[in-house]
Amino acid sequence: MERLITGLTGKYVIFTAAFAIRLALVAYGDYQDRTMVVKYTDIDYHVFTDAARFITEGESPYNRSTYRYTPLLAWMLTPNIHLSMMFGKILFIVCDVLSGLLIYRILRLRGLNSETARRVCALWLLNPLPMGVSSRGNAESILAALVLGTLLCMEARHLIWAAVLYGLSVHMKIYPITYALPIALALRTTRSEDIKRWRWRSFIGFIGSFLNRELLLFASVAGGVFCMLTALFYYMYGWEFLHETYLYHLTRRDIRHNFSPYFYMLYLTADSRWSQWLGLAAFLPQLILLLVASWAFHSDLPFCCFLHTAVFVSFNKVCTSQYFLWYLCLLPLIIPHLSLSVKQGVGLLILWFTGQGIWLGPGLLPGV
Amino acid sequence: MYFVLFSVLACLSTCHCFTGNDENHCGLLKRLLESSRVSVEINKKGFHREAVTTVELSPDVLSGVRVLLVHRWPRGVYLDPYQLASLSVESDWQILLDSAIDLELPAHKTSGFVTYVYPTVDGPTPRLLKVTIPVHGRYHKPSYDGKTFTSVDIEAPELLLRTEKCTQLSIFEPHAVVDAPCTADNSSACSWVKLQHQQEQGAVGLQFPVGDGSLVTPVCGGTLLVTMISCVALSKYLWKHRLV
Repeated sequence: MERLITGLTGKYVIFTAAFAIRLALVAYGDYQDRTMVVKYTDIDYHVFTDAARFITEGESPYNRSTYRYTPLLAWMLTPNIHLSMMFGKILFIVCDVLSGLLIYRILRLRGLNSETARRVCALWLLNPLPMGVSSRGNAESILAALVLGTLLCMEARHLIWAAVLYGLSVHMKIYPITYALPIALALRTTRSEDIKRWRWRSFIGFIGSFLNRELLLFASVAGGVFCMLTALFYYMYGWEFLHETYLYHLTRRDIRHNFSPYFYMLYLTADSRWSQWLGLAAFLPQLILLLVASWAFHSDLPFCCFLHTAVFVSFNKVCTSQYFLWYLCLLPLIIPHLSLSVKQGVGLLILWFTGQGIWLGPGLLPGV
Repeated sequence: MYFVLFSVLACLSTCHCFTGNDENHCGLLKRLLESSRVSVEINKKGFHREAVTTVELSPDVLSGVRVLLVHRWPRGVYLDPYQLASLSVESDWQILLDSAIDLELPAHKTSGFVTYVYPTVDGPTPRLLKVTIPVHGRYHKPSYDGKTFTSVDIEAPELLLRTEKCTQLSIFEPHAVVDAPCTADNSSACSWVKLQHQQEQGAVGLQFPVGDGSLVTPVCGGTLLVTMISCVALSKYLWKHRLV
């Protein structure tokens, strides 16, 4: 009985503490915004709020320049105008803590005991990076919750819910589309075949293995959700919606605030006739690695998704600091199953921070 | 008869008062034009700067005189309309932009623009005015002549003055008379007198870093080589350790 009580209180303490710290940060951010010159709130939050204001006035959220997200986000933030400016931030920190809960559930489903699962969750819940990002008003935690929800439903084999959440997450940001291949590979009928001899029959058998009930169900529900949302917002806001939400990101060549390895190359060739070909050449390593990672690791879906996101973010033509959260939310899922020693792990972490420091150093040094 | 004389005298004196007052205000404006000074300085470093415009008006009674600062900005910088909107709520000036500003285009794809700043909209105009406007640098094309910085020149703004009570603006030669919006809501145009520049302050130069265009081949080659090698190495490693 006593152990049960300690177990329960232990489980809820970490989630409550995580929420309380984030709430305190939101309150502090409000204080800093009102009293100091350097604002705590991110400019993106003001973009969302302005777009939500346009919606409350019956106009398109794309009247706000640099609003490049789904109208769903602006609709969700309309209480910012009707209730309080803090609503959006509270929503984001709730999704943040929800992501932590989803991580805990996935870890339990993958066979970890409660104590270890909670400790691993603390990597997300007590991590200053997602705390800071959500309390500053970035919407990344909504997407983290959707992606983690999809993975949880896949682990628990609730395919329809997984498909709904997947369709929603692809609608909100394009990058989860890369998970389609590992999910398809995971859902197809696996037959123990001898694929050493590639013949037309085994190739057709391979294609045929994709045509099973589960995969078709997933594809139709996810596709249906995505198409329905796209059709609805296209009807409401027209071509501008398609362009700002999807096409802009596909052809984006942002040369400012960029962590991408291609940024200088794209800046120097921005107006030359080779820029299209260079863009394609930059896309190839990303595509090849995504295909290889899908095939090599599709049996462990969270690990495969983590690799996909890490590859996508690292080899993308545009990378801002928000992108790092996309694979950070999946890291706690795979850490218990890694065979890295603590020393190696810490060494890699230091290497990651050193890389960041070298990249940002020249920009932050005085004299620029 | 005395009544007629009295009324004529009253009329004459009122007329004299009117023309005298008009002369007073126009004379005041003329004195302001002769002794006012406007200057601009740029603070902060990097791509996000502040333009501080200082206006010194000559020490006279300044009731009824309205000031307008017209900045002509070059294509290499931009102002963020949303930032300006939130700033003008907190400060006492209002700003009007002459065109929509794209916040993300590089410099060679845009053109310069004009802003009208109305300081101290409510209340009397003080002798010393300071208006701080945040200015942001645009990205420029890479340079091909080895220079690592490009220069953008910001000129001092034009100082425009007007008062309700002086309407004969043609007497202020050589200062030009221009039409400009009366207030920041651009509902009507008024005639303003433009201060002839004393030419004592030239343009302020801003330096923004640019890339080196002559390095395009090594940069492209190097970037693609590194990413291809990483891709091949990672693919081999992933394939070797694949889960069966």
